[in-house]
Amino acid sequence: MKRFAATAAIALIAASAAFAQDTATTAATTADQAAAPATDATTSDAAPAADATTSDATATDAAPADAAPADTATADAATSDNPALTDTAADHNDGIRNFTAEDIPTFAIAADGTVDWPTFSGFRRYHAECHVCHGPDGEGSSYAPALKKSVMRLDYYDFVGIVAGGKQEVGQAQNQVMPAFGSNPNVMCYIDDIYTYLRARGTDAVPRGRPAKKETKTDAYDAAEASCMGF
Amino acid sequence: MRTVMMSLAASLLMTTAAPVFANDSVTEIAKDPAQWGMQLGQYDGSRYSKLDKINKDNVGDLQVAWTFSTGVLRGHEGSPLVVDNVMYVHTPFPNTVYALDLNEDGKILWKYQPQQNPDVIGVMCCDTVNRGVAYADGMVFLHQADTTLVALDAKTGEVKWSVQNGDPAKGETNTATVTIVKDKVLVGISGGEYGVRGHMTAYNIADGSMAWRAYSTGPDEDMLVDPEKTMVLGKPIGANSSLDSWEGDQWQIGGGTTWGWTTYDPELNLVYYGTGNPSTWNPSQRPGDNKWSMTIMARDPDTGMAKWFYQKTPHDEWDFDGVNENILADQEIDGQMRKILVNFDRNGFGYTLDRETGELLVAEKYDPQVNWATEVDMDKDSETYGRPQVVAEYSTEQNGEDTNTTGVCPAALGSKDQQPASYSPDTGLFYVPTNHVCMDYEPFRVSYAAGQPYVGATLSMFPAPDSHGGMGNFIAWDATKGEIKWSLPEQFSVWSGAMATAGGVVFYGTLEGYLKAVDAETGDELYKFKTPSGIIGNVFTYEHDGKQFVGVLSGIGGWAGIGLAAGLTNANDGLGAVGGYAALSDYTALGGQLTVFTVPE
Repeated sequence: MKRFAATAAIALIAASAAFAQDTATTAATTADQAAAPATDATTSDAAPAADATTSDATATDAAPADAAPADTATADAATSDNPALTDTAADHNDGIRNFTAEDIPTFAIAADGTVDWPTFSGFRRYHAECHVCHGPDGEGSSYAPALKKSVMRLDYYDFVGIVAGGKQEVGQAQNQVMPAFGSNPNVMCYIDDIYTYLRARGTDAVPRGRPAKKETKTDAYDAAEASCMGF
Repeated sequence: MRTVMMSLAASLLMTTAAPVFANDSVTEIAKDPAQWGMQLGQYDGSRYSKLDKINKDNVGDLQVAWTFSTGVLRGHEGSPLVVDNVMYVHTPFPNTVYALDLNEDGKILWKYQPQQNPDVIGVMCCDTVNRGVAYADGMVFLHQADTTLVALDAKTGEVKWSVQNGDPAKGETNTATVTIVKDKVLVGISGGEYGVRGHMTAYNIADGSMAWRAYSTGPDEDMLVDPEKTMVLGKPIGANSSLDSWEGDQWQIGGGTTWGWTTYDPELNLVYYGTGNPSTWNPSQRPGDNKWSMTIMARDPDTGMAKWFYQKTPHDEWDFDGVNENILADQEIDGQMRKILVNFDRNGFGYTLDRETGELLVAEKYDPQVNWATEVDMDKDSETYGRPQVVAEYSTEQNGEDTNTTGVCPAALGSKDQQPASYSPDTGLFYVPTNHVCMDYEPFRVSYAAGQPYVGATLSMFPAPDSHGGMGNFIAWDATKGEIKWSLPEQFSVWSGAMATAGGVVFYGTLEGYLKAVDAETGDELYKFKTPSGIIGNVFTYEHDGKQFVGVLSGIGGWAGIGLAAGLTNANDGLGAVGGYAALSDYTALGGQLTVFTVPE
C-alpha cells in the first residue's frame, strides 16, 4: 500500500519537474497535461527513481534564477502581461475541480461563502504541510514568504516546480531553504488543492481562518484521492 | 588553588578507585556564580544565580553595558556560556560559535563556522534554532543542525573530534544543547514531525565514541529498560511495554524525539529528560498508548539503564510534545522534605514527582484555561492512576478523522514550550514563561515518506478566549501545592527562558523584544528595556572584574515566529478583537544580537 503511494508520487515528480522546465517556452502545450487530475500521473510510464531525481535537480537549479526576483515586492509588474496570473474565474469543471479558461486549477466560492471541496482540502493540507514555515492562512512567517502573495506572482507551473523541486537562497544575509516535496504524497496528491486555496487567499475570495461552509467531496474526487494516496 | 584541588581529587580517585565523579570541571564552574557554565545554570536546571550585586533595589538603574551582533537573522534560542573570562556565543544555522574575550572588551578570540549542507534547513520543523553549547574539560561541545556533534578546543576553536548522531535525509535534525555528565556527553534528536524514532545517546567526551543509546520506543533492549527493575508509578514496567502499546510497526516511525533539556542529580546518579509526541498527529493512525512517547525518563548516566518512567499524555491527540525540562529541587511536602522533580508539560499540567522513585505527588493545571482534561487521576488504587481524564468534547480521537475539534486549550504550542522555567530556593517558587493560546485541531490520514513531513492534522491557534486577550503569562508557581502565586499577563507568548537570582529579581524576555525584571516575591515590574529584536533566548548572568552582568540573545523566530508573525485569528470570532490578535510583525523584526546589561557604579 505504501509502495503504491510512493510510485504515484514519483510519477508526479517527473511530471511536475517537466512542467517547471518547459514553462518558459511551451506553457501552452503543457497546460493540457497539467489540467489532468493528479491520478492520471499513475497511468503514465512510471519513471525510474533515478530519472526523477535528475529532473528534480534540474528544476532546483533553475528555480533560484527564475524565481528569486518574483518573490520580491518589486516583481508585481510581471503580473500584468500574463492573463493566467490574474484570471481566477472558474470556466469548467472535470468532476473533480474547477479550471480557468487557461486550464489552470481554480476555486469556486458560492454567494453564501460555501467553498468548493478542493479549496477546502487545500486549506487543510496547507495547514498541515506548509504553515510550519509559511505561517497561518498563507500570511508568511518571520522567515518564509507569504504564499498568498507568491501565487499571484508565480505562475502555476513555477509554483508546482518549486514545491516539487525545492528552492534555496543561502548566503551571507539569509539562509532560506525550501525542501523538495516531490516524493511526499501528502503534498503532491493535493498540490492543485493547495494552489487553489492560496489563490483564493491571494484574491481575498476566502478570509483568514477555516472556511465556514464547504461543498461535500465528490465521488470522483474521493476515487482520485484514494488512488493517489494509496488508501 | 584550583590545581591543588584538582590534584587532590585525582589522588583521591586513584587511592580509592571510586567511580568517576560528576564531571569535575563542570561541577567546579557551576559552584562559582561568577561563571555561567551550562545552559540551565546548574545540573538541577534551576537557572538560579547566587549573584546579588544586581538586586531588587538597584535593578531599575540597569543600563546596556555592551552588545554583539551574531551576523545571523533567524530565531536565537538558548544563551551564551561564560567560563574563565571567555564568553561562548552560538547562533542558529549555520551554527557559528564565537569565543569572546571578556578581558579585552569582547574581542573575538576565535570563530568556528561549520560547513553544513543547507538542505537540513528545509527539514527542520519550526525554524533553524539551536539552544547553545556546553563546556567541559577545556572543550566546547556543539550539536549542529545536521546532527554533527563536535568537540572544540576552548582555547583555539579547533575541532578535536566530531561524530554524526543522525541522518537529516530521514528528517533527523538537532536543535537542542547537549549535557555533560561525568565522562559522557548526552545528546538528543529532533524530527517528530518526520516520523523519526527518538533516542538519547551518550558519547565519551574523550574521543566521541558511542557509550550507549536508549530509544524511546521499541523492544526492551533498544530502550534500555529492565522489565523487573525499571519502575512506572511504583510498579515494574514489565516486558514489551512499548511494543504492546502500538499497532504493528508504527513505533518505528512513531516519534518520541528528545529535543528538550536534560538535568542531572549527582547524588542519585540519575539523568532526567522528556520524550516528544508520537507520530503522526492523527491519533486514529496509531491506536494504543504509544509508549514511551510523552514520557519523563530517569536513567543511569553510566549505562543508560532506565530507573523509572512516567508517561504524561498516553496516546497524544493534540501534539502535547512532552520534552520540557525537569527541574530538580528539595522542598517540603506534607511536612516531609522530598527530593522533587518539577515539570511544566506542554499539556498544561504542572507535575511534581519524587525524583528517586518516580512517585507522582502533584499534578495541577498551571493555566486555568486548560480544558482538554479535567484532572490527573491521583488515586493509587484506580485503574487510571496517573492518567489525565480526557474531556470527550476536546478529544480529537473520539471526534474522529476529518472532524474539526474546536476550542482545545492549550494549543499544540503547549501552555509552555521549550523555554525553560527557573526555581529560586529563596522564595521556593518556580517562575514559568507560558503560552495562553488555544486551538482548533482536525486530524486526517497521511502517508509516510522518509525525510518528508508526517503531520496528519491541520490546526488553527488563537489567544485563549474570555481572558485578557494576550497570548502569554509569566507566572510564579508553588510546586508543593500546585498553585499559581501570581500571574503577569503578556500580549504575546513568553518564549524566553527565565532566570531568578539571589538579588530577589526574576528576569525574562518577551517576543516584542523587552528584557524585563520583576520582583521575585510580588511579580512587580522593576525594569524593562526594548532590545533590537524579539527575545526567544534565555537570560543569563555572570560577574567580571567584580561587576555583575545580565545578558540575553535577541532574534525573533522559532515556532513563535511562525505562528505569531502574521497574528493569530479565530475563525469563529468576529472582527474587532482586542490587542492579542495583533501581529508580532507590528512590533519587531528579524535580528541576531546579544545585549549585556549592568548597573552603573
